[in-house]
Amino acid sequence: MATQYGLLIDYEYCSGCQSCEVTCKESHGYPVGKWGIKVLEDGPWEIEDGSGVFNYNFIPTPTDLCDLCADRTKTGKEPLCVHHCLANVITYGPTSELIEKMQTKNKQALWAPQFKPIESKGEFVPTKKSNSDGLDEKKVVIEENDDWSTAAHRRSDDDHFEFGLVE
Amino acid sequence: MDEMKAAPAVKLDTLSDVNDLGRPWRYEENGLTVTRLSPWSAPGCHPTGCGLKIYTNSDGKVVNVEGDENHPVTQGRLCVRCLTLMDYMYNPARITYPMKRDPKYRGQDDKWERCTWDEAARIIKENYDRITKQYGRESCVVFVGTGREGGTFNPYGSVMLGTPNYCYTQSGYACYIPRLAASSYILGAAYPEIDFAAALPKRFDDPAYELPQCLIVWGKMPLASNGDGLFGHAIIDMMRRGTRLITVDPRMNWLSSRADVALRLRAGTDAALGMAMLNIIINEELYDKQYVDYWCYGFDELKARINDPEKGMTPEKAAQICNLKVEDIYRATRLYAQAKPASISWGLAIDQKANGMQAGQCILDLMAITGNVDVPGGNVLGDATTGLNEVGFGFEKGVGDLANKMIGLDQYPAYCNLIMNAHADLMLKALETGEPYPIKFGFYAGNNLMSCTSAEPKRWHDAIVKSLDFCFTIDTFMNASAQASCDVFLPLAASAERDGTTFTHYGASMGIKGFSQKATTTGEAKTDIEACYYLGNKLHPEWWEEYANSDEFIDHLRLSRKYKFRDVAKEVYVQDPVTYRKNECGKLRGDGKVGFNTPTGRIELYSTIFQQFNDDPLPYYEEPQYSPLNTPELLKDYPLVLTTGARPYAFFHSENRQVPYCRELNPDPIVEINPKTAQKYGITNGQWVRISNQFGECVEKAKITQIVDEKTVHAQHAWWFPEEEPSEPHLYGNWRSNINNLVPNFHFGKLGFGAPFKCLLCKIEPVAENYDTDMQLVWNKFKREDQ
Repeated sequence: MATQYGLLIDYEYCSGCQSCEVTCKESHGYPVGKWGIKVLEDGPWEIEDGSGVFNYNFIPTPTDLCDLCADRTKTGKEPLCVHHCLANVITYGPTSELIEKMQTKNKQALWAPQFKPIESKGEFVPTKKSNSDGLDEKKVVIEENDDWSTAAHRRSDDDHFEFGLVE
Repeated sequence: MDEMKAAPAVKLDTLSDVNDLGRPWRYEENGLTVTRLSPWSAPGCHPTGCGLKIYTNSDGKVVNVEGDENHPVTQGRLCVRCLTLMDYMYNPARITYPMKRDPKYRGQDDKWERCTWDEAARIIKENYDRITKQYGRESCVVFVGTGREGGTFNPYGSVMLGTPNYCYTQSGYACYIPRLAASSYILGAAYPEIDFAAALPKRFDDPAYELPQCLIVWGKMPLASNGDGLFGHAIIDMMRRGTRLITVDPRMNWLSSRADVALRLRAGTDAALGMAMLNIIINEELYDKQYVDYWCYGFDELKARINDPEKGMTPEKAAQICNLKVEDIYRATRLYAQAKPASISWGLAIDQKANGMQAGQCILDLMAITGNVDVPGGNVLGDATTGLNEVGFGFEKGVGDLANKMIGLDQYPAYCNLIMNAHADLMLKALETGEPYPIKFGFYAGNNLMSCTSAEPKRWHDAIVKSLDFCFTIDTFMNASAQASCDVFLPLAASAERDGTTFTHYGASMGIKGFSQKATTTGEAKTDIEACYYLGNKLHPEWWEEYANSDEFIDHLRLSRKYKFRDVAKEVYVQDPVTYRKNECGKLRGDGKVGFNTPTGRIELYSTIFQQFNDDPLPYYEEPQYSPLNTPELLKDYPLVLTTGARPYAFFHSENRQVPYCRELNPDPIVEINPKTAQKYGITNGQWVRISNQFGECVEKAKITQIVDEKTVHAQHAWWFPEEEPSEPHLYGNWRSNINNLVPNFHFGKLGFGAPFKCLLCKIEPVAENYDTDMQLVWNKFKREDQ
């Protein structure tokens, strides 16, 4: 595999501003109802009742329309979600490097997105002409079957009535 | 400021090494022209002046908008409202040429006719001359809101119309100015902002800077609002570096979820909490004795007050009032008092109650007795030369003795004198009754008060439509207020179409001076500066002879003629010089002496000015006018506390609703309800809900969430529906989801400030109707031609 690129998200500090969503839609022309990245919201819910401590995390999640700003990153710039993130929580780079950065603090998530994963598999291209390649022709001698019976019935069981073909 | 030099950029670690750091204010790239600028409005926003790069093609049309990494604070980061700037500028509903309408057809959308600027100006002048001849210039009112450059653009009133009645129309000026007033009177400085190193060349790594160990975010959600020019996400920059948070907010907002102590107080009880915190700090002797001794006035009186059995406040009593655990009050207070330095970011919630001046007083006292005023990492001040942008500009020339006729000046001088504004509620009364004199001529300086700013908006609507003989507006889109009451519509330039300045904090604190030179023009739209210059010359040429062009007007208005706009504008972002502890070197006072700019020369814990205005010189607590403790008899009808107006990222108040990508983030007006409360009233997530109280009602869509407690609901504000029928009586559905229907006027405090936008009572009930926004319709109606 070629060098894999990804987005490292420090979701301890993602404030849910959705700049990533909107800059992605603007630059890719994705209409209302489609996104290249989406901020998922978890909370607020109280961790222990009465504690006053709440779980409340926003997690930017690349969709199947995230191409990691291919046109932009090929010029050496970072993707626009990285550039415009108000909380500065998204880092772009080879995942091998991002894993190292991830190890420096908790509450991070690493995404290696795939743009249009179905299409990215490409058109189906057959690789074999026939499944019978290599079979010895001489061994293929087919004769008529006088002992035909209904395949759903066990042949060896005498307690069962056997239907044959109605003549 | 002596030198105007571009601020050095500080690179974010996520920014690639291939970048635009060090670029000039304008450059060419791949056949496009790039203009770097520091926007203000429109669309409206606080004067934060985030860095923008505007890409224009050979036709001069904007084809791309990016955040400018050269800005020392925003560093390339941008929120959704600037990211969608093209969708705003090139929106099919935008109005880019002047229009007129016969006053007899007010409220009818199909009766607008296109006209020229000259014809519009002729109509305005005819009406102005006729009305002012009969009723005097004081019969003119300028309606302003928040966030547009027009919102604080004094010359519109003073030297364009020559009226003393420039008027922010929110009851009790319940936005920023109560805090500014408390600060001006007690501290002698316009606004103590948290120190986020905005003006230091190396920012957080600058040797002069100290990181606050503790930050209290009090009644504010700056991440979405960037209030007054505080770039909210700078707080996250500080949290990463180790600043610990305390939050004071009825909502468990995202910042609260990251706080060491989240004080989820009952809405409107801030002054009780503030007094309790003063009580703990004073009685546990956690205050900075030397600082108090040197710099504060009236400490003994304050100590006596907070320990007074009647007017004082113990933490235990506050815990009961505020619905907090007393140990949380102790924990938060000790954390703040023991952290050096520490800072408090106070917000709009302080302004939105009658007792808000006292809440503000407590917060200022907290900053003062802990020795955190104007020290690195504390709450920093502007120097004696700074004020609030152009407050008072042109009054001497254009208004003169008429200033004495300013509506409300007699009754509420602490309000009207400070901000040179007519009192909002008394303006409403003047429109309704003709007392003390008739108001006949109106101008909206980029304000949609019927959707957003005003309490009881239908009442304002009826008063304006009945009272005004003539009214005009300058704006980017048609809105409910203009549709209902205007006879001329002037097209306003958007931020990328503007020559002008953006001074963070309206120039009131050490921050950044941003400059913009227009990247493009659209249709016949003019900026506020250009429109004021143009109309001022038509209506009162004698007041405008000193300017050869609108640039010279900028030089005077914004730069006190010390600089030429075009010379300094190419620097784009200029940091103010930073001096800490200005009280020690005489930089806070006009006379250059050591101390503070107050009558006693000290921070007045005992306010001699409050006393002069016949208010109590010391803090006291009053319940909200309608609350579980104050009006328990109302609870059987209105059992829930209503708080309103938390800011979403998608909108600046009533703006951006016709921008599809913004609207998609928040398609419907949301009321937040706790799961247990929702269960009790039979409300499911996403269901539409009628919210009502003794003043009015509206419908919003339920979001079932623990962000509010069981006794509180929070409702979004400023909703209208630009995709719906524009004409009267529907008026873009302006009254359907308008939470201000439930907010009364005339509920301000002793000095005239405050209104209960954030502390009322209400009931909620599910409705069968479904008002869900059809986003496909919004998209089809408002997307750009090329989308």
